[in-house]
Amino acid sequence: MRLTDAAVAIRPRNAWEAMDLGVLLARRHAGLLTASWALMTLPVFVLLSLLLWQQPGWAMFCFWLLKPAFDRLPLHILSRSLFGDTPRLRDALRALPGLLKPQLLASLTWRRLSLTRSFDLPVLQLEGLAGKARSQRLTVLGFGESRPASLLTVIGAHVEWALWAGLTALLFLLLPQQVKTDMDWQKLLDLAADENRWLWVEHLSNALYALLLIVWEPVYVACGFTLYLNRRTRLEAWDIELVFRRLRQRLTGVAYLLVLGGCLLLAPLPRPALADDAHSCPIPAEALQPTSKRLTHQALTSDAAHQAIEGLLGEPPFSNTQTVTRWRFGNEEEAEEAGDPAAINGFFEALRKLMLLGKHLEGLAVALKVLLWATLIGLLALLLWRYREWWFAFARRLGRPWPARTASEPPTLMFGLDVAPESLPDDVAAEVERLWPSHPREALGLLYRALLSRLLHRFQLPLKSAHTEGEVLALQRGLDDAELDAFARLLTGHWQNLAYGHRSPPDALRAQLCEGWRALERRGDTA
Amino acid sequence: MSEQTPDTPSSAPLDDVPASPVEAPAVAPAATSSTPAAPTPPSAPTGGAAASQRQRASQLAQALRQELQKAVIGQAAVIDDVLTALIAGGHVLVEGVPGLGKTLLIRALARCFGGEFARIQFTPDLMPSDITGHAVYDLQSEQFKLRKGPVFTHLLLADEINRAPAKTQAALLEAMQERQVTLEGRALAVPQPFLVLATQNPIEQEGTYPLPEAELDRFMLKLRMDYPQAQEELALVRQVTRSAKADMLEVAPLRTLLQAKDVLALQRIASDLPLDEQVLDYAVRLARATRTWPGLALGAGPRASIALVRGGRARALLRGGDFVVPDDVKGCALAVLRHRVRLSPELDIEGLSVDQVLQQLLDQVPAPRL
Repeated sequence: MRLTDAAVAIRPRNAWEAMDLGVLLARRHAGLLTASWALMTLPVFVLLSLLLWQQPGWAMFCFWLLKPAFDRLPLHILSRSLFGDTPRLRDALRALPGLLKPQLLASLTWRRLSLTRSFDLPVLQLEGLAGKARSQRLTVLGFGESRPASLLTVIGAHVEWALWAGLTALLFLLLPQQVKTDMDWQKLLDLAADENRWLWVEHLSNALYALLLIVWEPVYVACGFTLYLNRRTRLEAWDIELVFRRLRQRLTGVAYLLVLGGCLLLAPLPRPALADDAHSCPIPAEALQPTSKRLTHQALTSDAAHQAIEGLLGEPPFSNTQTVTRWRFGNEEEAEEAGDPAAINGFFEALRKLMLLGKHLEGLAVALKVLLWATLIGLLALLLWRYREWWFAFARRLGRPWPARTASEPPTLMFGLDVAPESLPDDVAAEVERLWPSHPREALGLLYRALLSRLLHRFQLPLKSAHTEGEVLALQRGLDDAELDAFARLLTGHWQNLAYGHRSPPDALRAQLCEGWRALERRGDTA
Repeated sequence: MSEQTPDTPSSAPLDDVPASPVEAPAVAPAATSSTPAAPTPPSAPTGGAAASQRQRASQLAQALRQELQKAVIGQAAVIDDVLTALIAGGHVLVEGVPGLGKTLLIRALARCFGGEFARIQFTPDLMPSDITGHAVYDLQSEQFKLRKGPVFTHLLLADEINRAPAKTQAALLEAMQERQVTLEGRALAVPQPFLVLATQNPIEQEGTYPLPEAELDRFMLKLRMDYPQAQEELALVRQVTRSAKADMLEVAPLRTLLQAKDVLALQRIASDLPLDEQVLDYAVRLARATRTWPGLALGAGPRASIALVRGGRARALLRGGDFVVPDDVKGCALAVLRHRVRLSPELDIEGLSVDQVLQQLLDQVPAPRL
């Protein structure tokens, strides 16, 4: 591998740029790549389809499974062409059996679902690593690049689906109108689910997949390959190496001249005399001090100058002293003290005592537990009571016979009359007959009371004390009971005559009313 | 209705009816004539004359109702209420959106009624003297002569009464309550019977003057006219479009059934109807309940109790009964009370109507029994 021969500019790129380079690479060798891919895969596809004609899905699956094996050929072509040694189609196909051999089983089975498939392939194929060495190498390479590699595979899957759907739609659009009228997606889907479905439709869709792979899969392999190259460029500083190589290439000619020139320059230097060594000792410090009287007795001595300089340096432009005031927490020091072992021990001691106390408080805990449970049960009971109507309704909907709730508790006292069944005599008719001659008003009142009570309790009429006689009559008419209606009319009419018109009922009425009431009672009992 | 309509009711005045009881089918209380087992009310022991008078009166009232129903289709309840007011001698305020036949109803009533009928179309520039009348100077006799206004009549239709300002509306106050009009310092009695039938439109507020409380209180009943039922509207449209006079409603074919004195007799007979203490108590309790009812800001006054009892009597007569039952009072309670109470602001904001609140009240006040 000679980096100087590389067909691409080798420099560190980011991952997406590297993939872009892969697309470019695939495009440059598009003819060779697609042709080799088609020549390799299409026969396999046809063979699989013929073998598994009845199971198009399985044919598809087998073809899909074989993709890593097919990938090796594009990679071979790309790696050769990267350094200018583009193989011819025939050579490439001839090299195929050799390429397929290493680690084929692993590639087709447990490594098939690896998301970094295209990125890992060069390690296997170009570096020829296997086993532990391979995984170590992958760990090194994959650091930082495995995520873009995985995304590449995910994007690739989407591109495949999009292309497949597009091709299918294109085919559908090409159908003539006459054919399309009796053909819709729903029907096609039904056919697919059917037993004697159109196998060729499925094989057609498989073929579409195989066709689109001719375009896409080389691009995918190229992208993985350039990702791999990018990673190695970074790791091994290929770009720097390249710069050095170029430098060397450029400088190889002049180097000899430089060396010669250098030698010539250095050769004529005079050798030092031996006597010179005696003077090579350092000059004592005192020798540097001025010794002459003229120099030591000047107005400004060296000491004075030194002090003046010190003084100047201490003054504002050179030294700035500032006083800063701020608040601090008062217990900062104490907090530091808490770190000492005695305090920690004291803390744990207190904790231990607390735990001992806790054992004594077990009774309290039990009480608390009971209290909490009681609260929970109470809340549940409250909830049940609050939504009892809903529960009843629910239970009724379940079809369970629920006791008919005596809705809104029929009033026992209506219109100033006691209408509770208990307040009436057992035999109303007999009592009426007894009362009639002496107290006709009481007799009729009793009968009317009995009627109201019956309407309320047996017929469950929602009577209120605000209802007048006429309204009661209208309500009972809603029961649609001719016999009851006739009796109630008769009784109400005479009751109104008596109560508001002050007209006593004729004697003949007594037997009629009592008979009517008895009939009503008999009917009610048998019902 | 299967009752026989008297052929010539106006020819046999009720006042001097002979003591020959008419054998007409008695009408059971609160029941229609289709009742199979309607009890025959035992005839009053004292004076078959009174009973027969009563029967004739109720037959007359029912004939009138039938006649009105020919003209005004689909408003049976309102017709009953107007007849109630006529019999009870009270004034009526009819409220309803335009085109429901408010004016038609009253014109039909006037047509069936042989007495005088006057109509005032209330307008914003109407003056009180336009209603009551005024003194004019007679050049020939060199004296002031009184010229009586349209209020001197038996039936007065005050159409769109809320279109006139309050001073004009107030001109009716004296006439309505005291049955007299004071002109030039002289109190002039209006003819008897005197009945004011006013209409108003509840929707339009632009250019109208709401009736003051005092004026409202003088109306015995306030009736609401609602849209007719589908079947009734069908019949109505069929009948009206058959007429040649476009959408002018015909009241011409109606017969004149009663004269002014017949109305007075009806009123007298109605006020003679026996009324049990319990029913009286019920009417008063109803009126009193409005004063303490939580949803009402303003309750009804004693005029309401009086109107309830009179209305109950009138309805009893209209129904053909011989005495008043609580149903009669309850039946006219809504019309009597709805314009005499004022809804509390909270319920007004909640969107409840007076009728709804009064219906709740009627559902709560216990009916009398013993």
